[in-house]
Amino acid sequence: MSLPPPPPPSDDDPKLRVTRRNFLKTASAGAVATSVVGMVAGAPTGGAAVLGPGAVPLTLEVNGAVKKISVEPRVTLLDALRDNLGLTGAKPACDRGACGACTVLLDGEPIASCMMLAADAEGRKITTVEGLGTPEAMSPLQAAFVECDALQCGFCTPGFVVAGTALLNRNPDPSLAEIKAGLAGNLCRCGTYGRIFEAVSEAAKAQRAPAKRP
Amino acid sequence: MAGDTKFTVKAGLPQAPRTMDVNAAEGDLKPWDLDRLPEFREVGKPHPRLEGPQKVTGRAKYTQDVMLPGMLHGRMVGATIPAGEIVSIDISKAEALPGVRAVWKTDSKLIRFAGQDIAAVVAISPDVARDAARLVRVLTKSKPFTVELKDAMKAGAPLVFSEAESPAGRDVPKKGNVVGPKQGRREGGRGDVDKGFAEADTTVENTYYLPVHTHCALETHGVVASWEDDQLTVYASTQGVFAVREGLAEALGIDRKNVRVITEHMGGGFGAKLGPSASGSSFAVVACRLAKKAGAPVKMMLDRAQEHLCTGNAPSALMTVKIGAKKDGTIVALGFTSYGSAGIATGAGTSGPAGALYKNNPNFTSEEYDVFTNAGPAAPLRAPGHPQGAFALESAIDELADALAIDPLLLRRKNESSPVRAAQYDVGAKAIGWERRNKKKGPAIVSAGKVRGIGMANGNWYVFAQDSGISAQVKIHRDGSVEVFSGAQDIGTGFRTAMAVIAAEELGIDPMTIAVRVGDTRFPEGPGSGGSVTTNSVAPIVRAAANKAMTQLFERVAPVLSATPAELVARDGNIFVASAPSRSMTFKAAAGRMAGEVIDALADRKRQFATFRDDIAGMQFAEVEVDTGTGEVRILKMVSVNDCGFPVNPLTAENQVIGAMIQGASWALLENRIIDKNVGVMVNPNLESYKIFSPSDMFEARSILTPVANLGNNTSTAGLGEPPLVPSLAAIANAVANAIGTRVRELPITPDRVLAALASARRRG
Repeated sequence: MSLPPPPPPSDDDPKLRVTRRNFLKTASAGAVATSVVGMVAGAPTGGAAVLGPGAVPLTLEVNGAVKKISVEPRVTLLDALRDNLGLTGAKPACDRGACGACTVLLDGEPIASCMMLAADAEGRKITTVEGLGTPEAMSPLQAAFVECDALQCGFCTPGFVVAGTALLNRNPDPSLAEIKAGLAGNLCRCGTYGRIFEAVSEAAKAQRAPAKRP
Repeated sequence: MAGDTKFTVKAGLPQAPRTMDVNAAEGDLKPWDLDRLPEFREVGKPHPRLEGPQKVTGRAKYTQDVMLPGMLHGRMVGATIPAGEIVSIDISKAEALPGVRAVWKTDSKLIRFAGQDIAAVVAISPDVARDAARLVRVLTKSKPFTVELKDAMKAGAPLVFSEAESPAGRDVPKKGNVVGPKQGRREGGRGDVDKGFAEADTTVENTYYLPVHTHCALETHGVVASWEDDQLTVYASTQGVFAVREGLAEALGIDRKNVRVITEHMGGGFGAKLGPSASGSSFAVVACRLAKKAGAPVKMMLDRAQEHLCTGNAPSALMTVKIGAKKDGTIVALGFTSYGSAGIATGAGTSGPAGALYKNNPNFTSEEYDVFTNAGPAAPLRAPGHPQGAFALESAIDELADALAIDPLLLRRKNESSPVRAAQYDVGAKAIGWERRNKKKGPAIVSAGKVRGIGMANGNWYVFAQDSGISAQVKIHRDGSVEVFSGAQDIGTGFRTAMAVIAAEELGIDPMTIAVRVGDTRFPEGPGSGGSVTTNSVAPIVRAAANKAMTQLFERVAPVLSATPAELVARDGNIFVASAPSRSMTFKAAAGRMAGEVIDALADRKRQFATFRDDIAGMQFAEVEVDTGTGEVRILKMVSVNDCGFPVNPLTAENQVIGAMIQGASWALLENRIIDKNVGVMVNPNLESYKIFSPSDMFEARSILTPVANLGNNTSTAGLGEPPLVPSLAAIANAVANAIGTRVRELPITPDRVLAALASARRRG
């Protein structure tokens, strides 16, 4: 997973200016290093978008739809998706980017949504597991997960489905080693890894030869 | 007994059937046996799980996902010291924080482990709750503490409990933090071990150790509690909705009829989620109280650190195994002693496998000691005590084989008492390629090279079932749709789908068309999912209820087909006359002829009857590669051979077997709860430094299920959730020993331990 570039600067609303107390919670992740000096000296000196401390309006593009929400700047993308938009497919499990259960696509790249502030996702295209398919019209990878029984309790499954989708998008014909590497940021405690590799491989086959599918 | 139903059935292994008479309870159905096995239409065939599409698209709602109107967010505050007295808890600042709706604090005056419940807050958002939690001020007076098994055993170690406070039974001997000896729980002892050792030609004795492991279910413990007048609804991430109902009703002093517990989907438990809250926390009770106080629903999910600290763990184990055998390998004496720490709880015994395996040996004794430490209380973890006990026992069996210069598989076979396991040896040996195993002894002398080894180990489990007080319900609707109801929860095992398969077999329809409703105390009572009991407790009643419903439907349509109900057969969505299959109608058309809107059949669990075997046999084989330069161990392949009676759905069953094997591999090579001795606090309460197996660690895994008509209930199903974790640790340890020619007797088998073992073996020459 790569660190996303900093977000575009937002309106310079004085109400949104940082306070000393809230600085660490509100500084945008991509701009921390440069804004520290400015903050300590007094007013922010540009570069970093400064929000909060109260709820701020955000516009997120999720699964192709534009959504307006109002959240405190410290709210993570994961919490915003779940608590404000009702998209509970991405799961909180470790709260520190160690398990991949909260994986979503940001402009097509898999990221741990618990490690990103919602505010930093403005202007980016967010895809959650809900955006990949529905129970009635599953994506080829989702269908392969069901067919191969690549899940048990299923709590980690949305993260694996999203990570697997990203892998197939950039490599439509992955080897077993490439599949393992592509999913290395995700953990499953029930132990379904082998079935997940099989599902990714089956979906790759199905996507390469769509005409041959029954 | 009067009213019993006697059946003559064909039991045991398909290749060696045995005729058995069983006395079932009055009205029970004839058990599925070896004659029925080849005729199954749905049982034993692979079926994708029913809830799969919901789970893979993110639509399945777990407790963590429940959102209710006006819902508040709770957060527990735990002790940050391992032992001490609580002088005061100041919640005034937390209460004053805008957005906070209610605060709770404990009445307890003593702290015995870091992570123990101190206070809790509920607020309008998780972030505000976190802020409020930080504002709770706890003044404590620290006391000396002990957190490591071996330290806690020493004379003069700080006492976790005074004798009066000890949770151990009154009649159990106590010395400092050490409680015992207790005789092994399940098997006790037999014969005269001293006489046995005196008669032995060869005796080996070694000590093995493994640390505490935590469950690490991806969904942490938690509930959403919601009151409407005196009616309490609780969404719980639990393995036992009825246990949660009972526990909460008792703790809150309310009628259990006023409590409804729902678990539609749950994100893993592995034994830690069998109680109303958790082994080391009362978070669920607190959440209900705070929801009442705040007048709004409360979601109280623990975070990952709390999950490690206060929701249970698998005890550590320090085990000494002494085995005596004749020159030909016949085991004549076995002594097993274990010390383990379940933190502030008891229950660290590990002698189950030593008592249950190699039963032909006439002389066996075991002693179990619990050692208290200032750490969170243990909870059952998938075959409690058995993976630990099998690690020691099955390592020792390999060491005996070395001492006798006998192939370890032959040694086990020679001492085998189970016909099921006797048949499994060949199956597993072939699947792993046992003949490729290293035959040379001594440490690998290759420097910085990669060496391979193969090992195996046995495991055991028991036929447990809840055989009273539970029931199941089957409804056939007028439109031909079918619903199955069981209050028991699907914790990820595929229970829901297995029940559809059982009902489908009886109703002659496609299981994928059946709606199975589970995990709700408003449905007929079901068992807690612990001890590998869910499928084999509920399957026979789902079958019975489906049979009852079908009998009613047969009575309805028999006249239309000019037959008696007894002449009808249901198969492939049709109902027809057995002797004249052309006289038929579809299941749907038959349902359309029912008198009312629904045929509703309820069946109660009848008692267990005789089984072919009262144990569940399993073994695992592992092939590993060890880098003798770095000490790194990689597992290349593992094979599990396991019996579970008749597997209902091999697709989900084998998934569970392989999953258990991976959990075992994770214990063997990676997992280790580390508590800092100086401050008494866990240093890795997370998922990045408490290492569990990841995709990049994955090996080639194979599960082979060996069907056995085991009886006990009318479906010949038996448990599977736990047994496949039992042999994994030892199989891997034995494979590593076979690779490097010397043994690591302490888990996890980390590179430093491999290098130390190699260095020590070289020094010995």
